Amino acid sequence: MTGKLVVNLHKLARFTNLALPFLAGLFFLAGLRISFYFHFLTVSFLFLNFLNAFYLFGQRGHSLLRNFGILGQGRYILESIGPELRQYLYLNDTEERPFNRNERSEVYRKAQNINSASSFGSQKDFDATEVKVRHAMFPIRKSQLKPSDVTFGEERGCPNAYTMKRPFIISAMSFGSLGESAVRCFARGAKQAGILMNTGEGGYPKYHLEEGCDLIFQMGTAKFGVRHPDGSLDDDKLKALAAKDSIKMIEIKFSQGAKPGKGGLLPKEKITDEIAALRGVTKGEDVISPPSHRECTDLESAVRFIRHVQRISELPVGIKMAMGNAVEFHGLVDEMKRQDVFPDWITIDGSEGGTGAAPKAFMDRVGLPLFPALKRADDILTEHEVRNRLKIIASGKLVGPGRQMIAFCLGADAIASARGHMLAIGCIQAMQCGNNTCPIGITTHDPDLQRGLEVDLKAQRIANYVQNLEHDLEELLCATGCRSVQELSFEHLYVPKDSTLNTFIGSSH
Amino acid sequence: MKTRISPILSWIAQIIAVIIMGQTLFFKFSGAPESVDLFTEIGMEPEGRILIGILELIACILLLIPSSITYGAMLGSGLMAGAIIGHFTTLGWEGDRLELGILAIVTLAACSLVLFIRRYTIPFLGSALQDSPSEP
Repeated sequence: MTGKLVVNLHKLARFTNLALPFLAGLFFLAGLRISFYFHFLTVSFLFLNFLNAFYLFGQRGHSLLRNFGILGQGRYILESIGPELRQYLYLNDTEERPFNRNERSEVYRKAQNINSASSFGSQKDFDATEVKVRHAMFPIRKSQLKPSDVTFGEERGCPNAYTMKRPFIISAMSFGSLGESAVRCFARGAKQAGILMNTGEGGYPKYHLEEGCDLIFQMGTAKFGVRHPDGSLDDDKLKALAAKDSIKMIEIKFSQGAKPGKGGLLPKEKITDEIAALRGVTKGEDVISPPSHRECTDLESAVRFIRHVQRISELPVGIKMAMGNAVEFHGLVDEMKRQDVFPDWITIDGSEGGTGAAPKAFMDRVGLPLFPALKRADDILTEHEVRNRLKIIASGKLVGPGRQMIAFCLGADAIASARGHMLAIGCIQAMQCGNNTCPIGITTHDPDLQRGLEVDLKAQRIANYVQNLEHDLEELLCATGCRSVQELSFEHLYVPKDSTLNTFIGSSH
Repeated sequence: MKTRISPILSWIAQIIAVIIMGQTLFFKFSGAPESVDLFTEIGMEPEGRILIGILELIACILLLIPSSITYGAMLGSGLMAGAIIGHFTTLGWEGDRLELGILAIVTLAACSLVLFIRRYTIPFLGSALQDSPSEP
């Protein structure tokens, strides 16, 4: 070896492995000759030797421990605290995924009514990929803005058409993925802010109804809450639920951004007796919704099913989907035109993946990201001249006004966000949603963890967050010179060469 | 079958260990002459007597709280290993020392049984055990 000062970990480990029994013997002698107190060390080192012997000669699963013994454990210990170290100390403000520190703190500030102005320039690398909004030379005043009402169901003259005053929705998170306290925070906050909350596919919305906010009832592929035991739709249950005052709209979930092409998944760790009852499932195993509705096997039956639900519920009915194949979407729109049946809205869910537990490959690799998907859906609907027959709700990492504004420019009528509202009530992005160990108490049923969520206080945070989002949206609108989000278009965006939206430049309108 | 018996077995062992360690606490804390003699012999009177007593008390408590049983068993077996070392080196096995020594061995065995039954929850060892199913 060279004369450089290097740490040879293998040598060090071999030395440690020899030193441990030697030290145990030494301490034994000291205990014998000097003071019995040394036997505290003797016993400790006997245990260490025992453990080390097991690592070296007993176990076979970990090659590192088999070669290095107890020192090898250091690697596992360091690795296990790596995520925290990186998050707290080493990653810079724009590095983390899915939400970096800047994005998170913007939500926190909005939720706590703290001024979110920052100084000395943007940290974004916008010369390369960042889409920007084009402002007008002569911005308008807030008093010139039109009210931001969006009415669902007006296109087909639905008797119970629903008008939302603010274009924000708490996106679908089921009771099951969320604990009771979190559901109450969201529902109470939605009521305070006067926005809609989507129930997610978690079955009968018991706590949502208790809080009395306006609700979109989501019907997943397993139809929890409105199912026959065989998983098909129970018309009577749906009718009874739709008749409830708080239920304003019904959303049929075809696919979701976290795992497009796969049904919902609730890990068995999170299934309590109550959830099993509200969903009509058994405890002790993962609840996996089927990948598709059994009523919908092709385009024809899918559109017929939408009509069926519209007729039974007498409410505005929309569909939620993550965009996969644009040709299929063309086909869907063709079929809607043929039957003259349109959902009252389509929620385009970006494949950015939401709170949902999903197989990693699905989360990372399946489905189109929100912006291109949204743009494509809007283009296809416009191309078929049916864009005026329905609304579009956009969802997928739309936690701050910047991305929301881009979504509006790409054709969205309203914004749905789940994680934005989770951050607003204190989510720290521990990414434990599927393990029932959420340290904030949002995605867990552990009462000790839910204790951290003070419902009234957190509901106020939701209201603040929505209030500040609306404030920013209005200011951004004024800057573009548009009087409502409907006037925004792709032309209001500056799209640099490396952006995924670049392919759409000059392709439509 | 095994899974249903082993928790009961573990609790029996825990209670045996707690009873044996617990009853000596009275002698240790009250400064009973046998106890004082014993700790004088190994040169730990009186601090060591109190210290060991407190540690044994902690072990007893940990052994009875479900989430900390493994830690209690580890502490208990460590203390008993120390006691047995004492008997082999200084205290000997004559007279009532034999009885005390045997009690220490029984407690060590009980704690070891608890640790064996709950081996997957032992820190730094459990996960390695779980990953190599060929090992006991």
